[in-house]
Amino acid sequence: MGSAGTLRHGVQTAGSLHTTSGDGPELQRPAAWAGLNRPQVSGLPESPWNSFCRVRDEQAALLAMGGAVVDEGPTGIKAPDGGWGWAVLLGCFAITGFSYAFPKAVSVFFKQLMHEFGIGYSDTAWISSILLAMLYGTGPLCSVCVNRFGCRPVMLVGGLLASLGMVAASFCQSVIQLYLTTGVLTGLGLALNFQPSLIMLNRYFSKRRPMANGLAAAGSPVFLCVLSPLGQVLQDQYGWRGGFLILGGLLLNCCVCAALMRPLEVPRAGAQAGAGLGPQRPAPRRLLDLSVFKDRGFLIYAAAASVMVLGLFVPPVFVVSYAKDLGVPDARAAFLLTVLGFVDIFARPAAGFITGLPTVRPYSVYLFSFAMFFNGITDLTGSTAGDYGGLVVFCIFFGISYGMVGALQFEVLMAVVGTSKFSSAIGLVLLLEAIAVLVGPPSGGKLLDATHVYQYVFILAGAEVLTASLVLALGNFFCIGRRPAADAEGPECPKPPADGRVDSREVERFLKAEPEKNGQVAHTPETSV
Amino acid sequence: MGGRAQFWVGLGRGESVSREQGRAAGPLLLRLFSRVASLELASGAGPPASMRRDSRHRHWFAEGAAWVRRAADSPTTMRTFPCRRGPPAPPPLPLVLLCFLAAARPSLADGHAPALTFTSLPVQEEMLAKYSNISLESHNISLTVEKNITLQRPSNIELTCQFTTSGDVHSVNVTWKKGDELLENNYLINATGSILYTRYMFTIINSEQMGSYSCFFQEEKEQRGTFNFKVPELHGKNKPLITYVGDSTVLTCKCEECFPLNWTWYSSNESVQVPLDVQMKDKYVISGKHNETRLKIMHLSEEDQGSYWCHAIFQLGESEDHVELVVLSYLVPLKPFLAIAAEVVLLVTIILLCEMYFQKKKQPDDGKEFEQIEQLKSDDSNGIENNASRHRKNESVGQ
Repeated sequence: MGSAGTLRHGVQTAGSLHTTSGDGPELQRPAAWAGLNRPQVSGLPESPWNSFCRVRDEQAALLAMGGAVVDEGPTGIKAPDGGWGWAVLLGCFAITGFSYAFPKAVSVFFKQLMHEFGIGYSDTAWISSILLAMLYGTGPLCSVCVNRFGCRPVMLVGGLLASLGMVAASFCQSVIQLYLTTGVLTGLGLALNFQPSLIMLNRYFSKRRPMANGLAAAGSPVFLCVLSPLGQVLQDQYGWRGGFLILGGLLLNCCVCAALMRPLEVPRAGAQAGAGLGPQRPAPRRLLDLSVFKDRGFLIYAAAASVMVLGLFVPPVFVVSYAKDLGVPDARAAFLLTVLGFVDIFARPAAGFITGLPTVRPYSVYLFSFAMFFNGITDLTGSTAGDYGGLVVFCIFFGISYGMVGALQFEVLMAVVGTSKFSSAIGLVLLLEAIAVLVGPPSGGKLLDATHVYQYVFILAGAEVLTASLVLALGNFFCIGRRPAADAEGPECPKPPADGRVDSREVERFLKAEPEKNGQVAHTPETSV
Repeated sequence: MGGRAQFWVGLGRGESVSREQGRAAGPLLLRLFSRVASLELASGAGPPASMRRDSRHRHWFAEGAAWVRRAADSPTTMRTFPCRRGPPAPPPLPLVLLCFLAAARPSLADGHAPALTFTSLPVQEEMLAKYSNISLESHNISLTVEKNITLQRPSNIELTCQFTTSGDVHSVNVTWKKGDELLENNYLINATGSILYTRYMFTIINSEQMGSYSCFFQEEKEQRGTFNFKVPELHGKNKPLITYVGDSTVLTCKCEECFPLNWTWYSSNESVQVPLDVQMKDKYVISGKHNETRLKIMHLSEEDQGSYWCHAIFQLGESEDHVELVVLSYLVPLKPFLAIAAEVVLLVTIILLCEMYFQKKKQPDDGKEFEQIEQLKSDDSNGIENNASRHRKNESVGQ
């Protein structure tokens, strides 16, 4: 039996039970029942503490071999892996598309904005930069909001904010007002919409999570292919003001996606005990769980992701001008990006599917590292491309590797930190990436201005991504393997009480533990022991 | 006739007469000139073969002119034409001076008779002073090619056509035309081997001289080369500019690498171009640098919609460009926005209603589950049976 399978079925919701007997390590009943001092079928009483520590140790053992933590919701609710999860996936697809494709769609209007306000190109580029900064940099804020209010309200507010920003932008009379409305307001709204969607996706899928991540990530290239021409059409028909107004209307659809994010049902009885077993039990639940920083896997991932983002977004920005520099006509140069996007659409679900295979899933971190390695190598060989054919080949391979990275980045993070900490971890990772995102492409531009040789930019980007891949792979290989299984979990795993029987008063404390604030309405336990 | 077959007869700097024209002007004159030329050649006086303007050329012309004068005055001296280059009898000094000045004056490309007329000299002297700093443009084509040339300001022009003939160079008939009008003078013909060159030199100073100049080589079939002279064109955007009522907008016209003397703006509704009333300072403001002009229109209203034309005025002509202005009211994009907002509200309502409906359906079952929990707590001995029943129940409820 695979230990992953054991783990999944080891902690059950209060609603279902296993009737298998005779297997020692398996829990026969939910932990709640154990706490009620009932003899179990196998005759072994297991206290909540014991079961919790055992579960954590098994998870740590899995991590030791680079395995993925196949985890449930923080309250011990089993992920549906289907059913309403597909609707949640559709919502995530749309939201990912809006978040990543929107900065590009707005850039279509820049020429008219330059003409209207009499500003230069770099002033309009600030709009994109502020948008990206808000999207990435407000990560911790989003985590706090989600932990406090839950996913769906935050997402609804985010959608409304994003739409409001664009509508206000259509009435702007100066560039500064544009920065505040399109940049700050819409960026904040998109961030408040995007992050919780990932958290919800993680909760709804566990067995099929890699595939779900891949499919949701495919929203980015699909929406990019749709929003850019749409932006152009809107500009031709309605000018930039009307275009912004209608884009604001389109962003209201994020609210529809937010409405789809139905919170997972918390079964009334027994779930609270399961919640009490969560790692937050020893300490009061914080709004932002900074304990992720104690996790070495997270630290390595965050370092690798920051370095990767320095170089990941640079080649698509410069490949078109590189082609024009080689003498390729404008239309064919723009076609390169179409090729890249098209390959990306198919690469993401494919990567998700491959990662979901049972043989590959435990090693998803190494697959992510390989994807970054592939991307870096593509950049380095692409720098030697001297003609249009070479650039087309570069775009195809870059599209494949970019899709793999895009599909795996959040999947691996979910695997590394687990569901309960994911809401905080994603915010912190995005904040670290924000700095890199704002530094990477402009520094590539500066290098280009200084040397006027496009090859150097590609080589630099490739080197950065390669470094990130090596950091991730070697870090995981050396550091995680040597980490003692229970070491990091020590303070969270207090010694179990001497006897197997648990005091009923302790159980009462469990049942009246702090209600879950993870996007679910906490049901006060109606049972009383 | 001489080492090289060079036929050219010329007068003055930059003026030349074709053999045929010279024939028309006066056979005597022509023959005298050609003979003088050949004599020069034979005596190795230097290469009048070069078609470059140099002082020797001018000097030779002056001497030739002087000889013609003398020959014309005394027919009898024709027979006593010198056969060798000895020190020629010094021609009368004022005559030489006059001939020199005639040679030195600029040519006028108006197709008139060659300037052996010395009467208009003072005017030409003035023009020489005035135009001494204009540039020279040389253009060279081989047949059959059409070349487009953009000119902004007055210049001296040199047009050269090159034609490779298969037959006899002498049998090719060379003409120049401006549009359909035959040009009579000011061109040279030269031949090396089987390639025939012809050059037309003139000056463009106003817009009447702009147009299309062609050289024609008549063999069995007529071959043609064309030079098209135009003022620089303005290339603007083709897309209409979309603005909203109450807004203000800026229309620009830009000219790459050209510097018009002046810009003017017109508006037109159908075909008639009406100049803009630039006295309305609160409505129209025109500004701009050398090669671009900006028209700022404030307080836009629906009547301002239409085509706007900008004219760039050069010394040699005008060129124009137009910009389309569209003025919309805010209601126009508002309709799609409201449609999308309505769709969003509808979808959100449907989703939330469905969710509440399914939740209500589940609530009765929650009550039953609660009962079972109570039962389990109270009843110890029914462990296994209760397990089984709960399992069955929960399997039907779950998922």
